Amino acid sequence: MTDDDLACAVALLDLPGMTPVRLARVLDGLGPTLAWHAVRAGTHPGDRSRRFAGPARQVVPTDVLARYRAAGVSVLLPGGTGYPTALVGDPGAPAVLTALGDATVAEGRPAVAVVGTRSATPYGASVAAELGRGLAASGVVVVSGLALGIDAAAHAGALDAGPGAAAPVAVVGTGLDVVYPKVNRVLWERVVAAGAVLSESPLATPALPRVFPARNRIIAALADVVVVVECHGRGGSFHTVEAAARRAVPVCAVPGSVRSPASRGTNGMLVDGCTPVRDLEDVLTALALARGGRALEPGRAPRGTRAPDVDRRLEGLARSARAVWDAVDDTPTTIETVLLRTDLAVATVAVAVADLVRRGLLTEGAGWWSRS
Amino acid sequence: MIASIPSAVLHGVDGRPVSVEVHVANGLPGFTVVGLPDAAVRESRDRVRAAFTSSGLPWPRRRVTVNLAPSGMRKGGAGLDLPIAVGVLVASGVLDAAVVAGHAFVGELGLDGTLRGVPGVLVLADALVGHQVVVADADGPEAALAPTCVRTAPSLTEVVARCTGRRPWPVVPRRPLGPRYDEGSRPPVGDLADVHGQLLARRALEVAAAGGHHLLLVGPPGAGKTLLATRLPGLLPDLDAATARDVARIRSVMPDVDAASALDVRPPFRAPHHGLSAVAMVGGGNAAHRPGEIGLAHGGVLFLDELGEFPTTVLDALRQPLEDGVVRISRSGGSTCCPARFLLVAAMNPCPCGEGGVPGGCRCSPGARARYARRLSGPLLDRFDLALRVDRPAWSDLIEPPVGESTATVAARVVAARRHARDRGVPANVALDATDLDRTAALDGPATDLLARHLRTGRLSARGLHRLRRMARTIADLDDGAPLVTGRHVTEALLLRGSRALLLGEEVR
Repeated sequence: MTDDDLACAVALLDLPGMTPVRLARVLDGLGPTLAWHAVRAGTHPGDRSRRFAGPARQVVPTDVLARYRAAGVSVLLPGGTGYPTALVGDPGAPAVLTALGDATVAEGRPAVAVVGTRSATPYGASVAAELGRGLAASGVVVVSGLALGIDAAAHAGALDAGPGAAAPVAVVGTGLDVVYPKVNRVLWERVVAAGAVLSESPLATPALPRVFPARNRIIAALADVVVVVECHGRGGSFHTVEAAARRAVPVCAVPGSVRSPASRGTNGMLVDGCTPVRDLEDVLTALALARGGRALEPGRAPRGTRAPDVDRRLEGLARSARAVWDAVDDTPTTIETVLLRTDLAVATVAVAVADLVRRGLLTEGAGWWSRS
Repeated sequence: MIASIPSAVLHGVDGRPVSVEVHVANGLPGFTVVGLPDAAVRESRDRVRAAFTSSGLPWPRRRVTVNLAPSGMRKGGAGLDLPIAVGVLVASGVLDAAVVAGHAFVGELGLDGTLRGVPGVLVLADALVGHQVVVADADGPEAALAPTCVRTAPSLTEVVARCTGRRPWPVVPRRPLGPRYDEGSRPPVGDLADVHGQLLARRALEVAAAGGHHLLLVGPPGAGKTLLATRLPGLLPDLDAATARDVARIRSVMPDVDAASALDVRPPFRAPHHGLSAVAMVGGGNAAHRPGEIGLAHGGVLFLDELGEFPTTVLDALRQPLEDGVVRISRSGGSTCCPARFLLVAAMNPCPCGEGGVPGGCRCSPGARARYARRLSGPLLDRFDLALRVDRPAWSDLIEPPVGESTATVAARVVAARRHARDRGVPANVALDATDLDRTAALDGPATDLLARHLRTGRLSARGLHRLRRMARTIADLDDGAPLVTGRHVTEALLLRGSRALLLGEEVR
C-alpha cells in the first residue's frame, strides 16, 4: 500500500457528500489511485452522475493526507497495515478507516463488544465497568462506542484494569477531531493513549443521526461476542445486535430488574434466546464457545467493584444508620422510600444518610441513593 | 366663579392627590378639560353633562374650564367624574363652597346620574386622609378600610342632598380584620391530609412555611407536585395587620383579578400560567403601572407550575424582587414601587420527557436535557432554599394510604416556629440579615465543622451558606426552638436543600 494509495483513498473519503456506501462502490474493484483518477476524470462507472468529479478536481490528495496526518490520524485500507483483520471479508467492511492511537493493539486478541443505553442506571454502569475491567484484565479487547452510559463505563473499566491488560478499542461515528459527547473528552484521550479510536467518517463529521447505526455494524464486526448490558425497548443497541446476528456473532445480555425501563430491551433479548451474562466468567465461556478452545482464565483486576470490607465498615454504625442501610437495597432508592421503610424522622434519616455517605457506603445520584 | 375640589388618581399601587379646579366664566358656552387627562377623563365631559341633565341640575350656559392640578402629571380613570361635577356645581353657584369644604370626591358618573364604583378606591381614600371622602355606595366598605371618614351616596342628586344637609349621610360600617370569606362560603382549601405518602415533601412544606423559604419540586408528571404546592397556603399563618392592608390595597387596584371587600388575613395564592408576559409577572404596562402576579402574591405564595416552560426573561425578572421584597417599575411615565414579598414555589419535570426521575427511565437525548436545564439560570436556581424530588407514590400508598398529619396540626407547629422568628425581629427566618446570622442563628461546634467541610469541598457557596443557615435555624425552631443550631439541623437542611445540578443534570456518565 503506497502513500499514493492512502492519499487517494482519504481524498475520496473527504469529498463532500461521500458516504460509506458510495465510497465502497467507488473503490470496489479499482485500486484507490485508479478510482481517484477515474472520479476526477468523470469516467468512473460508480459515479455516473459525475457529482464527485468537480470537487475532486479542486483537491490535491497528498494535501488531504497531510492534513489527516497533522491531526494525528492514520488512514487504514483493507489489506494495509493496521486495518483490523476481523473486518477483512466482512460484507459491510468500511472501505477506508481512520484511526487515532495504535490500531494494531487488537490484532490476535479476542474481542468483546460491551454496549448499551446512554441513559444507564447505576446498576448498568457498574456492571459495564466491572465487565470492562475483568475482560481487559483477562486479555480481551473491549470494543465499544464511547457514548454516554454503558459505553463510557465499559471503556473506563477496561482502562482501569491495570498494567498488562488488553487495550480498549472504540469505534465512533463522528470524525476523529470531533469528540462527541463532549463530556467524554478525557475518556476519549485515555482510550487513544492506551488503544485506538476508529472511525469511517472523514474529519469534522458532526454527530449526524445516520453515523451511529453505521458505527454499530463495525462494532459488531470487530467483536467475537457482543454483550448488551442495559437497553430500552428500542434504541441503538438493537442495531448492534442485528448486525451481530447477521454475522453470526453471539449476543449475550445482562438481566435486570423487570421494573427497570433501562433493562426492558435486555430482558427481552433473554426471552428471545440470548445468552444471559451474570459475571465475567459467563462472558469468557461464551467467548470460548465462539472462538473454540478453552475458556480464558479470568484476569485479576487491581480492585474489585464492591469493597470487600463492607461488613467491617458497617460495624459501629448507629442503629438508625443501620436501618437506613437495610432500607436502601441494590436498586437506587429515594429518601421517600427510606422514610416509608424505616418509619424514622426526616432529620434522623438525613443524619444517617450523611454518615453512610461519609463512610463511602452510599452514593447519591439525582435524588436517588444506592449502595456504593 | 372658581372651585377647587380634592380628589385622587391611581399611580401603580399608590394614590396621588389631585385638585380639580373648575372655572365658570362668561364667554361662548363650552366645556374643556386641561391638565394631562387621558381618554377616560376627557370622556368624562360627556358623562358629567348628561348626568346633570338626567338629575335635573342646571348646566351653566357659560364657559366651563376644568384644570387637573398638578397639571404635569398624567391622569387616568373615570374616578374624576364626581369631583368635576361637584366643582361645576360649586363654581356655578348651585352648591355653596362651604358645604363641600373638607370633602374629597371619587366616583364615576352614569348618564342617568348614578354613582359608580372605581378601581383602587382603598388606595385613593388612603391618599385623601384628612378629608371626608365621598364615594359610590358600592365602594363604601372598601374605602372604609382607609383611616379616614368615608361618606357614600347612590347618585349625584343624593350627593347634593347629603352635602347640603337635606338628608343625613348613612353610616358606613368599618370592616374588622378577618378572613375574606365566612367559614361557610370559603372556597375549599385542600388539606394536607389529602396527600398520601410524600413524607419528605411534607416535611419540606412545613419547613418552607415556617421559615418562608423558597421551594422547588422536581418530579415526573402525576407525582403530586401541584397537589403539594396548593397545600402550602393552608400552612401559612394569618397575615399581620400591615401586610393584610398591603394585600387589600393591591387587590383594590386589580378589581378584575380579586375583589377586596374586607381585610383578608389569609395569605394569597397565585398560580399564573406559564404563557404570561414579563409585564404580567412583575407589573407595569400602561401609564397606570398595574401590579403584576408577584404583587398579587405579596404576603402569600407564588406557585409556578412547569417552571421549565416559563420564558427565561419572565423568570429572570423575578430575581430582584426575590432579594428585595419590592418591585420597582420604571417607565417613561414615572416609576412606582409595589410590595412583593412572597414565597416562591415552583414545580418542574426533570427533563422534557418527564420520566428522567427514574434512573434509566429518560428517553431524552443529552442535548435536549441540557437545553431544558439551561432554561433556568443558575442565579434563579440558587434562590430556591429547598429543592427535592417528588416521585409518584407507590400503588400500595394509594390503595391503603397511611394517614398523614392534617393541615391544622402542621400549621400549629408553623405558628410556634414563626413566634421564634418574630422574637428575632423578622416575620420569618428567610428575612434574617446575612451579617447578623452569628447572633440570630448561632451554630454549635459540630454544625460549624459540618458547614466548614461543605464550604471547603465547594458544595456550598457564600450565598448558599447564608440561605442554608437560615433554613437550619427554621428547622431548629421547629425542633421546639432549640437555642443553638446543631449538626443535626444542618444535616437535615443540607438534605432538603438538595443538589440542583443532580436533580436536573446527568444521572450517570
